[in-house]
Amino acid sequence: MHTSNIKFRGGLNKAIVMCSSIVVGIVGLLPSSAQALPAFARQTGQNCVACHAGGQFPELTPYGRMFKLTGYTIGERTVPLSVMGVVSYAKVANTSKSDNPPADFQKNGAPLFATGSVFIAGKVTDNIGVFSQTTYDNYASQSGNGVFHGHMQADNMDFRYADRLINEKRDVIFGFSLNNNPSITDPWNSAAAWMQYVPVPSPTSHQFIDGTAPYPGFGSGGNLAGVSAYMFWNKLVYAEFGTYRTANQGFSFMSAGINDASTTKLQGANNPYWRLALSHEWGPHNLMVGTSGMIAHVYDVGTDISDPNNLGRFKNAGIDAQYQYLLDPHTVTAQLAYMRQKQDHSANALAAGSPYFLADGITPVTPVNASDTSNILRAKLSYIYQAKYGGSLSFFNSTGTTNTLNQSSGYDSNGQITSLDPLGTGISSTRVTGNLSGNPATRGLTYEAFWMPVQYARVGVQYTAYSKFNGASNNYDGLGRNARDNNTLFLYVWGAY
Amino acid sequence: MKTAAFVGMGLALLGVAGCANTERSRNLNDPNVPAKVMAQQVCSNCHGIDGNSTSPNFPKLAGQQEAYFIAQLKGFRSHGRYDPEGFEYMWGISRSLTDEQIKGLAAYFAQQTPAPNPPVHTERISAGKEIFEKGVPSQNVPACAVCHGAQGQGNATFPRIADQHADYIIKQLQVFQRTEERPEGAVMKQITHSLTDENMQAVAAYLNSMPVPAK
Ligand code: HEC
Ligand code: HEC
Repeated sequence: MHTSNIKFRGGLNKAIVMCSSIVVGIVGLLPSSAQALPAFARQTGQNCVACHAGGQFPELTPYGRMFKLTGYTIGERTVPLSVMGVVSYAKVANTSKSDNPPADFQKNGAPLFATGSVFIAGKVTDNIGVFSQTTYDNYASQSGNGVFHGHMQADNMDFRYADRLINEKRDVIFGFSLNNNPSITDPWNSAAAWMQYVPVPSPTSHQFIDGTAPYPGFGSGGNLAGVSAYMFWNKLVYAEFGTYRTANQGFSFMSAGINDASTTKLQGANNPYWRLALSHEWGPHNLMVGTSGMIAHVYDVGTDISDPNNLGRFKNAGIDAQYQYLLDPHTVTAQLAYMRQKQDHSANALAAGSPYFLADGITPVTPVNASDTSNILRAKLSYIYQAKYGGSLSFFNSTGTTNTLNQSSGYDSNGQITSLDPLGTGISSTRVTGNLSGNPATRGLTYEAFWMPVQYARVGVQYTAYSKFNGASNNYDGLGRNARDNNTLFLYVWGAY
Repeated sequence: MKTAAFVGMGLALLGVAGCANTERSRNLNDPNVPAKVMAQQVCSNCHGIDGNSTSPNFPKLAGQQEAYFIAQLKGFRSHGRYDPEGFEYMWGISRSLTDEQIKGLAAYFAQQTPAPNPPVHTERISAGKEIFEKGVPSQNVPACAVCHGAQGQGNATFPRIADQHADYIIKQLQVFQRTEERPEGAVMKQITHSLTDENMQAVAAYLNSMPVPAK
């Protein structure tokens, strides 16, 4: 495809020019003294590398972990404000196998100002600190005429009280957190809330970038309201226990900007989250091995929560490990995370069944499972030199039970494969997102290279290559789309102040 | 009911201890926080509670000479010492410390007992010992022991360098030799002038593995 090739290069060049001018802009605008840093760095007066491994956000160094666990209270009080912005560009390998390319690949190959966040973050008292992020999505929605509309909403929030009892013989840090996302409290970056670190822009051209590829996570998602208590004993054992509920009523600020119908609704406040980790440091090395889990009773999105038949349940249990080697000028990190999830579908979802038929167009597909199990594995290795030049390689593999309930393409009553939405379930089911098998299996690799010209800006390029998508390597939607058609090149410029 | 309990827990969480807690404070800008509290709550995160840091990214402070320690912290505070790790890590830490706190911190770490390090490059140790005790006459390098003491224990503004992490020693020797980032170390600039990388590695390997002298 000669023409698309030219377009590809043109778009890429434009993106590079734009990215570089933004970097130059950021470099020029920001004062270069060590004081001119985002809120936490201003509070401690330290450079980002003190807390972030090789300056690689948000991955924390051992000191960064102590800063977080002691409730963000090290340092002196300053203006607790920071801002962050991301400019991005994504290009999907094949945009031709689609019924509606402009809708399936919005802004494909176009640089865009994707998202921005405002943080209120800092020390409040000797024992209380805050990390609170609100994010603006420049492409949150699109009206009929194709115009995009921006939207602001509550992102990660963590309000802490912490204390530390330390002397020559023992060291106990303990604290409480009021937060809106299970594992956001965690100081290790193989935890579900932290492993994925580049924000995912909304336009559909970005639907296959690494951030949307499988990452171990909790079925409940975020924007909940929870409290947890934690303890870190002799830098060896970390334990945390918490429970979550819906972020409404007094807690609605934790889901601010999300309308009531789309807010995740949990049943009651008995949705426990737990975490146990062992950590050890020796010389320039440190290692953590841990486990975490959650049980969440979640109503199907947008349904009537007075009807118990709309209630489903997620049970998650995972293990994760993180190794770091930090010795100037080298930073090496290896992360491994594995999460198993059992989802019990709600009675109503089961009753609705699958809209599809067998190939004869007459026999409805066999009854669905009442529950599904999925397993997601992520392994990532990264190296950074001088906190400036870095690269990473990441492998993901998601497997799980096959369930017709999870099909988003299939045969209609005429024996034709349909990518439409025969029962009007509202689930978009184009050729591009279609899943003919009802199996979630997705596997691939992400390669990344990045450069940090200054400590608060990063330019990155990622390439994500799929060998399996929605259960198959080839023809996963039944309409000829292959996993590798979704391979995506993604460029981003990230900056913070 | 449940909601009330939940809100109550949240408020309790935020309401506890609204005021300063100088016995366990991590505030670096509060002259009332005693030096020992600061050493244990803050400095220990990098330098170790007893000044024996685990990671060679952070110098050991155990048994360090008080006068030298005070001069370095004041150097960071005034930005007089500006080698990269110095400004990245220590400028902010020291910016609001009072002279009184600095004195207290120096006393706290001077009292700690240095712990032995895991050995590095053992094959270089004997060459390093030679340099430490006799210098390198052919390169006009004097014996380190002359100023840093026969056991590397230091004296007043001559720092203790025994049992220091090899990686940190090498880094500092390079800072003295190649930069002006430690202006108070003018003496060391002369001494390191003709030291080769191999000399530095040898002497660092020796210092790293020096037996801890009895107090
Ligand atoms: C985030 C980690 C970190 C914390 C916390 C920290 N330091 Fe440091 N400190 C360093 C590093 C890194 C160096 C080496 C600086 C250099 O190479 O110039 C250093 C150097 C020093 C030195 C100079 C040592 C020498 O041999 O010349 C002194 C003294 C010192 N720190 C004292 C303190 C005190 C006192 C505190 C607590 C109030 C503290 N540090 C907290 C990282 C830290
Ligand atoms: C003439 C006296 C003298 C001699 C000889 C000498 N030093 Fe030094 N050294 C000093 C002084 C003074 C300082 C403190 C410099 C400062 O205040 O910045 C110092 C600092 C150092 C430091 C930095 C310590 C720290 O904690 O940051 C190292 C490492 C060091 N010397 C190693 C050596 C070695 C190795 C030799 C032998 C090859 C040597 N010195 C010989 C006087 C001397």
